[in-house]
Parts: sequence; C-alpha cells; structure tokens
Amino acid sequence: MKTDDSREILLRGERLSKRFTDKDRQIDALSEVDVFLRRGEFLGVVGESGSGKSTLLKVISGLLPVDAGEIYCGEERMTGCGAREMGKRLQMIFQDAKSSFDPRFSMVHSILESGRGKRDLAEVRALIDLVGLDSVLLSRKPAALSGGQCQRMAIVRALYNGADILLCDEITSALDVSSQAQIVGILKKLKEQRGLAVLFVSHDIALVRMLCDRVLVMQNGRVVEGGRIANVVDDPQDPYTRQLIESARRQSL
Amino acid sequence: MRRQLKLRILLAAAAAGILLFTVIFAGVIAPNDPYATNALAIRKAPCAAYPFGTDNLGRCVFSRVLFGGRTTIAATFFLVLLSFLAGTFIGMICGYCGGWADRLLMRIADILLSFPQMVVAIAVAGILNGGMKGAMIALGITMWVSFARLARSHTLSIRQEAYISSAILAGKSGLSIICTHVFPNLLAPLFTNALTQIGTTMIGLSGLSFLGLGVIPPTAEWGSMISEARAYIQIAPWAVIAPSLVTILTIVVFNYLGDLVMEYREAL
Repeated sequence: MKTDDSREILLRGERLSKRFTDKDRQIDALSEVDVFLRRGEFLGVVGESGSGKSTLLKVISGLLPVDAGEIYCGEERMTGCGAREMGKRLQMIFQDAKSSFDPRFSMVHSILESGRGKRDLAEVRALIDLVGLDSVLLSRKPAALSGGQCQRMAIVRALYNGADILLCDEITSALDVSSQAQIVGILKKLKEQRGLAVLFVSHDIALVRMLCDRVLVMQNGRVVEGGRIANVVDDPQDPYTRQLIESARRQSL
Repeated sequence: MRRQLKLRILLAAAAAGILLFTVIFAGVIAPNDPYATNALAIRKAPCAAYPFGTDNLGRCVFSRVLFGGRTTIAATFFLVLLSFLAGTFIGMICGYCGGWADRLLMRIADILLSFPQMVVAIAVAGILNGGMKGAMIALGITMWVSFARLARSHTLSIRQEAYISSAILAGKSGLSIICTHVFPNLLAPLFTNALTQIGTTMIGLSGLSFLGLGVIPPTAEWGSMISEARAYIQIAPWAVIAPSLVTILTIVVFNYLGDLVMEYREAL
C-alpha cells in the first residue's frame, strides 16, 4: 500500500483533549490526541467502545467544543469555530443511517437542504449514480429505505455539500455484510476518483486494513499506536494493539 | 386491532365534532334567547317550547346550555392553544439551548408544579377578582408547564438524533433547525397532550365559574349555571342536571378522544 507523503495536509488536530464530568467522576475522553489527514488519504481510528473514537470525530467536526488543543484545516486555525463553520470543510456520516435523515422529509429534500443554498438536482442525480442507487429512491422517506440505502444517501448528501473530508463514525457496523461491502466499494471508488480524505472510525480491524492507509489505535482517550496500516497490523508494538489484532484474528476464524 | 382503534377515534372525533358544531351554531339552534327572562315561565319543567325547562328567572335552560357551551369551549380551546404555544416554545428553547435559561425555567416549572393546580388557580383568580379573563390567566399560569416539560424532553431526544448534527454541519442556524426539524417532530406528541388537556381545562374553568371566580352573571356558562341553579335543585332539578350532563359529556368525549389518539400513537 503506497502513501504519498508529499500531499497537502487537509486537517490537523494537535493535542486535542476533552473531559466529561459525570456526577463527581471525571472522564478523559480524549487526552492530547494528535491527528492529521492528507488529501486522498484514509486514516483509520480503531479501539474498543469508550476509547474516545467517536469523541475525536465530534471534537474535530465542532459538534463538541474542545477543551484544549488546536484544529487546523490546511493552514487555517479552526479551533472553536463550531460545526456550522466546520461543515464547509468536512462532513460526517453516522452509524445510524436512518436517523441521520429527518423522518418527515424525502431524501431529495434532505439532500438539497444540506447544500447551503445550492439546489442542483442534476448533481444529486449524478451522485446517486455514483453510489449505485436508483434515483427513484430520492422521493422516498427514510423509513422506506434500507439501512444500506440510507447510508449511501448519507454519502450522497455529504458529497453534495462539497466537503473534501469525510468523518465516518462506525458507518458499516449497523449494516449487513453485503451492504457493508457496497459501502466499502463506494468509499474506495471515491478515494480513487475524487481524492476524498476520510477519517474512518471503526472497531473492525479487518475493514480498516482493507480500506485505510494509516491507522491510529486508541485506548482510554489516548493514541497508543499509530502509523502505516501494514506496519501496525503486521508488527504491532503496543501490547493493547496486539491484543486487539489477536482478538480480531480469532473472531475471523 | 389498528383498524378498530381508527374506527373508535373516528367515532370519538365525530362526537366531538357534533358538540363543537352545536355550540358554534348555538345562535341558529337555540329556540329561545338565553338571556330573556320570563316571569310567567319560572322553573318550568322541560316541554316543547323549553326542551330543558327554565330556570329561576324563566330563562330557557337549553338555549343557555348551548350559549354557555360557547363560552366554556371557546375559552378552553383558546387557553389550551395558548398554553400549547407558550409551553412548546419555552420547552424547545430549554431543550435545545440548555444552560442557565433551561435551569431557570425548569426550576420555575418545578415550583409551579409543587402546588396543586386548582389551588393556584383559585388563589390567582381570587386576586384577579373574577371574570373569564382572570380565570383563564389563573389556569394558564400552571398549564403551560406540562407542555413545556413534554416539549423539552422530546427536544432533548431529537437533539441527539444524527439528522440534527447533519443539519448543523450543513450550516443551518439553531432557529432554523428548531423550526424545520424540532418543532414538526414534536408536534404529534404535543397535540395528543393538548387533546387530553381539553377535559382538564374545561373542569378547571367550569370549576372556577362554579365557585364564582369565573364568568360574571348573567353570562351563560356551564359552571355558573350549575352554581346558580343549585339553590333550587329540589324544585327545578333540570336546571342543574342539564348543564352538569353536558359538562360531563363534553369532558368524557374529549378525554376519550385524547386517550384513543395517545393509544394509537403508542401502537405505531
């Protein structure tokens, strides 16, 4: 797997920290996490539940304010500018595909609405083609679509918004195997055709290995290991990473 | 099961529709002037000219029931609508924005809920010195709370939905999200609550009028009619029975409708 290290860095998070207070207990969901993403690069983030993967995405997207650390898009400092502003640079795809669309609206309504004033039906149709859906589905509401179809619609919406960074939060974990494969195929295609950069949060190491160039392994809000996917998976340095990979191997047997 | 429920909802809605129709067209249906006194027809038993008989001043009870329904039902609907709008607005702001505004408004709601609603209403209506407006304010002071709490809890759960995050990332403002995504999605549960509140509000308004804290005589209103006629119940029981029965009937119909709609929504 080749990675071109000279490509521009689209997104950079430096020493990102986030602490939640729950009753009298303080939980460090993120402590001093460094992350960067190059154009056309897929970065996997793996770790068990509660390791801070999703918090990392929420903090980067501005949906959660960061406690400490800096976020840059290119050279521009974006720390604390909020999700409305960040949405111009990046889009997010969620685990629960159905709930990422308002149940009352048709797909086409939801997609056009996310275009920041742009209403280009031809572009929507082209994107629908790109993800391999039938444009008949555009007039349907989320309840009338399968999870996989909804997830592909979510990708269409993110692309229609014009962002070149996608934050994917466990986007395949709620789907059946064939829908999973379709989503992975689409992401690969987008990577080749559009040079999309993706931050891919997942607990499925096999999937991350197939899709990503680099990987970060997180545990208790910290990055315990990071690097080229082949290096990390084949020669894990950290004991926790080894344990994760071991259990993934055992599961696939 | 669903079809049977639908049928029952339709029947209850039809009954409510008939009640509203008769009250709205009271002017056409009523056989007599509800305010015309007649010294020659005092406390007459029900007959063709006076279907529900007459009261102590010879006024037609049937006509007064119809016109009284206008007062009671109009005031009830207006009050429920107003509480619905105010409560929903407050609840949505609390749920969506959180922070100190949420804490302040919810503490006020807690304080208001810590007294029985009728006790607050009687005290406030007493201070405001009667009148339908006073009675409505007295009930409205605590009524918005149930809507606000419901709207807040629904807003909190809607706020967690991914489509709200998507809308924020699509650059939509808080106000626009509240208007296009939050409000329409909590309309259904709040509407159900509004239906069930109609009965309670009607009891409240008629109750205050019965106590002399609502409408000012001679305005026809069910509660005050019962209260006036109560004095001579042994001589002319119809003057008490008629407004009592319609009050019960109306409350039952609207409560039943509200319960059915709630059941239907839960079955979805």
